Amino acid sequence: MIFGKHARAASRSLLALGMGLALFAAPQAATAANPAAASAALAEQAQVDDAAVAAEAQASEASAPAAPIDRMKPTEGKGMPVAKGLGLQDQYSKLGGYGAWIHDAVLMPIITVISLFVLFLLIWVVARYNRRANPVASKTSHNTLIEVIWILVPVLILAGIAVPSIDLLAKQFKPAGADALTVKVTGNQWNWSYTYPDNGEFELVSNMLNLPNYPTINNGVRVVKTDPSDGPAQLEVDNRLVLPVGEPIRMQITASDVIHSFAVPSLWFKLDAVPGRINEKTLQIDEPGVYYGQCSELCGPKHGYMPIAIEALPRDEYNAWVLKQAGGVIDGQDEAGQAADDAAGAEADAPAEGEAAQTESQANDA
Amino acid sequence: MATTAPPESIPAHSDDHAHDDHDHKPAFFARWFMSTNHKDIGTLYLIFAIFAGLIGGAFSGMMRVELAEPGIQYLDTFARWFGAVDPDFNATLHTWNVLITAHGLIMVFFMVMPAIIGGFGNWFVPLMIGAPDMAFPRMNNISFWMTVAGFCSLLISAFVPGGLGIGSGVGWTVYAPLSTYGSQGPSTDFAIFALHLAGAASIMGAINFITTILNMRAPGMTIHKMPLFVWSVLVTAFLLLLALPVLAAAITMLITDRNFGTTFFDPAGGGDPVLYQHLFWFFGHPEVYIMILPGFGIISHIVATFSKKPVFGYLGMAYAMVAIGVVGFIVWAHHMYTTGMSVNTKMYFTAATMVIAVPTGIKIFSWVATMWGGSLEFKSPMVWAMGFIFLFTVGGVTGVVLANGGVDDVLHDTYYVVAHFHYVLSLGAVTALFAGFYYWFPKMSGRMHSEFLSHLHFWVFFVGVNTIFFPQHFLGLQGMPRRYPDYAEAYAYWNEISTIGYMIMAASLVIWFANIIYAFTAGKKAEDNYWGEGATTLEWTLSSPPPFHQFETLPVIDEKAVH
Amino acid sequence: MAGTKNHDYHILPPSIWPLFGSIAALVMTSGGALAMHDYAAGKYMFFIGLSGVLLTMFQWWVNVVNEAHAGDHTPVVQLHLRYGMILFIASEVMFFVGWFWAFFDFSLFPSTLTEVVGGQWPPKAVEEVLDPFDLPLLNTLILLCSGTTVTWAHHSLIHGDREGLKKGLWLTILLGLLFSAIQAYEYAAAPFPFGENTYGSAFYMATGFHGFHVIIGTIFLIVCLVRANKGHFTPRQHFGFEAAAWYWHFVDVVWLFLFVAIYVWGGWGYPTH
Repeated sequence: MIFGKHARAASRSLLALGMGLALFAAPQAATAANPAAASAALAEQAQVDDAAVAAEAQASEASAPAAPIDRMKPTEGKGMPVAKGLGLQDQYSKLGGYGAWIHDAVLMPIITVISLFVLFLLIWVVARYNRRANPVASKTSHNTLIEVIWILVPVLILAGIAVPSIDLLAKQFKPAGADALTVKVTGNQWNWSYTYPDNGEFELVSNMLNLPNYPTINNGVRVVKTDPSDGPAQLEVDNRLVLPVGEPIRMQITASDVIHSFAVPSLWFKLDAVPGRINEKTLQIDEPGVYYGQCSELCGPKHGYMPIAIEALPRDEYNAWVLKQAGGVIDGQDEAGQAADDAAGAEADAPAEGEAAQTESQANDA
Repeated sequence: MATTAPPESIPAHSDDHAHDDHDHKPAFFARWFMSTNHKDIGTLYLIFAIFAGLIGGAFSGMMRVELAEPGIQYLDTFARWFGAVDPDFNATLHTWNVLITAHGLIMVFFMVMPAIIGGFGNWFVPLMIGAPDMAFPRMNNISFWMTVAGFCSLLISAFVPGGLGIGSGVGWTVYAPLSTYGSQGPSTDFAIFALHLAGAASIMGAINFITTILNMRAPGMTIHKMPLFVWSVLVTAFLLLLALPVLAAAITMLITDRNFGTTFFDPAGGGDPVLYQHLFWFFGHPEVYIMILPGFGIISHIVATFSKKPVFGYLGMAYAMVAIGVVGFIVWAHHMYTTGMSVNTKMYFTAATMVIAVPTGIKIFSWVATMWGGSLEFKSPMVWAMGFIFLFTVGGVTGVVLANGGVDDVLHDTYYVVAHFHYVLSLGAVTALFAGFYYWFPKMSGRMHSEFLSHLHFWVFFVGVNTIFFPQHFLGLQGMPRRYPDYAEAYAYWNEISTIGYMIMAASLVIWFANIIYAFTAGKKAEDNYWGEGATTLEWTLSSPPPFHQFETLPVIDEKAVH
Repeated sequence: MAGTKNHDYHILPPSIWPLFGSIAALVMTSGGALAMHDYAAGKYMFFIGLSGVLLTMFQWWVNVVNEAHAGDHTPVVQLHLRYGMILFIASEVMFFVGWFWAFFDFSLFPSTLTEVVGGQWPPKAVEEVLDPFDLPLLNTLILLCSGTTVTWAHHSLIHGDREGLKKGLWLTILLGLLFSAIQAYEYAAAPFPFGENTYGSAFYMATGFHGFHVIIGTIFLIVCLVRANKGHFTPRQHFGFEAAAWYWHFVDVVWLFLFVAIYVWGGWGYPTH
């Protein structure tokens, strides 16, 4: 049944290997020349697209039967996987560029060279020391110098890798700062809920949009691609996690039932949502856009159907979005309400601090 | 490993010794169901591993077919195969998780381990050290049958209720709390008990191997004259002995959490799901070395045999394995980088994990150095061994990438990890298994296989597995999470190619079976030492197949023998 | 000469017990899995399987004892048995490592998010713990004392004093039974239930598995006493006894760790029962 279809594409399998080797041979070529330049170009593209979307939205407002949803249209290929992609997704977070650089410019070249070196050695011994070329085998079985070399050189290479690697780890654990925005993410079977404790404690539940020609996956949720703002099927959700760009955000992640994992590849972000723990990590998004991710820890049947979509907005647009949410407040704009909220929420805040301490203490328990 | 000729000449295999009581083979049932003979038990292990491997491989075929294109195409049918009546969408998707769970557990516990330790270890450790049998021949047999019992328990688990569908859908890692309050029904209990049974079997096997190796070496065979395969099994047995009981404790906690109201992993009672992961990976990381170390041993012998040279840097090779075993116990949390560890912990595990690359590098380069200056003959085992060296290198270097905690943040639980561990296991351990199979099959069966079919098997397998798993690196880098039955359109291209690779790989297994049939029907009778001068370990001094009880007078190893 | 055994290793005849025992173990675990989910047949399967396992153990060790008496246990085979027992105990140690790991995880990093624990150890839900210097201390002394009595038995055996062997074994067994009885009483009177929180889980499972090992060790010693009464064991060959003694010492050492970690340190300064 399926074989015929795949047999037609069989030649592509060899292509896969060829491209794989090409990637090994030229890691730089496979990755964008310079992440900064690439992201700048993409940012421009994003703005153009935004304008186009806005214009389109205005134009269609009168005629469209269902009002289009007021949210950002994702840019094709940004913050999402691309077809036939070979390397990492382009990075749009503060540390993503650095991480991608470590992978693309440090690790990939090294492992490619090592693999090709071993392959070369194998080909060499096949050519040089086959039975015909070398009828009498030597009996050499020791050579202290070469043994010392093949211990020391890998040690030096690994030490070289360790320097940026440890540096990246140190940077990843830099706390977001006391006045940073806190967002709480909770993994549930099988959706995500997001609360904004700094903006009035409102909560969003984020379900994957239903898929055409599938049984209903989430009741009461529309089908994907029924709105111009919808991104790829299986990645788009009804309520995106909206975040401001350009500032560190304290992401607090937990789960209500089993373990989930909050992962967004294009933001270099993955942290498990563990029931009974609140894990914390800083996220800083470089530029506006829609970034998709998927649950990355097996959590039951619909593990594959609880994607993550982050809509990153400039701070003022973010504030405007917050005020549109039921119960959404912004510091300074709603002084009285905020003060009342503070007083009322004082007790509620206390455990939140306790939770932060918990993160620390549990993090040490490894 | 030069040895003297055995002090007596053992006649080539014939029936004449059947008249003697000691060498009289028991009748069929007693021989195969009540065995206390290490070679027969080794054969049973190999047959069992092939059978289990076919089932585990069929499960992976079901997975690859489902993944050939986006959408859910076949899972509903599969759910019905497992006995689901009119499955709803959850039950259909649950079947996917049953497949990944069963595939992982079968391949790890019931295919690779029984084949490489139970099969080759049982067959060749006594032969290589000049021992007549294992230290505890009867316990050897219960190790085998308990493994079979475990396998039965695992198969039963796939057909009984397990929460939202039929079977246990918790992953081979059985992470709590998905495996505790997240999976109702007896299925997961059956799966956990399967691990208890297989674990008990492996612990008994480990005790048996360690005792055999330490106590039953032929006179003159000091520990530094032991063949490297024996070294590898010794290290492996220690890993089994010390790692499996921790798993036993962890999965016993799962059982009591599931059924008796304890809260080890239940946050409602203060329990900690991450504790399970620590306990599991404290076992799980040594476990991956358990699967690969005996393969290292096999490859060392093959490379030396077909280079007609002694192994380069014998002591370095032996102690590299010891180092890998020791370091293997202190790197476990690199499987848990995203669980919310502290920065210091993550830095430690990053550094410690990268250390493993050093002894592994020693092994790779020593194999190459063994070939260097040799007179290489590309017989079937050698081709497989060279394939192993390259594929294991590729799997190893992606391990170095994943070792970096900061980089793992984007790769953890993606197809990159799937590609990595299949390169070291499916393309590493399994390639080593096939290498060992072709190296020793004539010794075990007394019949030569076809060199042509063996080479063909290798090349088709090589293309197939690389086509399956190399594209999975790209999927992982692009962010495709593992354990997904369905995926976004962007991942379609490489997934389809991966599925094509599976079909190529499956075709190679047909060639393999054809080869076995050929050997038994038309294969030449194997000589004692059919690989010639390069093969120097003690099994080559015996007939092919060896007598039912070998070394009834112990061989004596030349004191002056050097490596 | 082929076919004549010229070595001291033990080549065994075929045996049905490995297959029988494995099937019994599968029946037992399957029955257990079903019984835990209230399938009626589960209980019966479990007990049938358990009987099969016990029968296998009995027959197996009867065979081993008979083989010893038949002279199959040459010095090298006795050495095998020693290695085997040491390695088995090593694996048992690692089994307890798992339980101690859980205990230290819970006690050093008590959950602050869960009300029943409240970030403290023992957890808030546990109002009182057992006083370590009451019955647990007595139990410690009992086990330490039993360690000396089993050594007394061993030395008597080595010096050919059969009466001393039997007396030492009797005393050790009685002390072992006394320990188990006191543990049972403690469990019944403990101020915190089994499970429900991390304390009730870690405490009962760790000490419970220890208690289970004490019972196994006691049975092992009883077997030795029965064999001693039948005239088994010689001053030069008595590995069955030695294995029991080693196992008993192992159980003793595990208790010391449990006592120090869980009873004393784990409940330090907390209200006691």
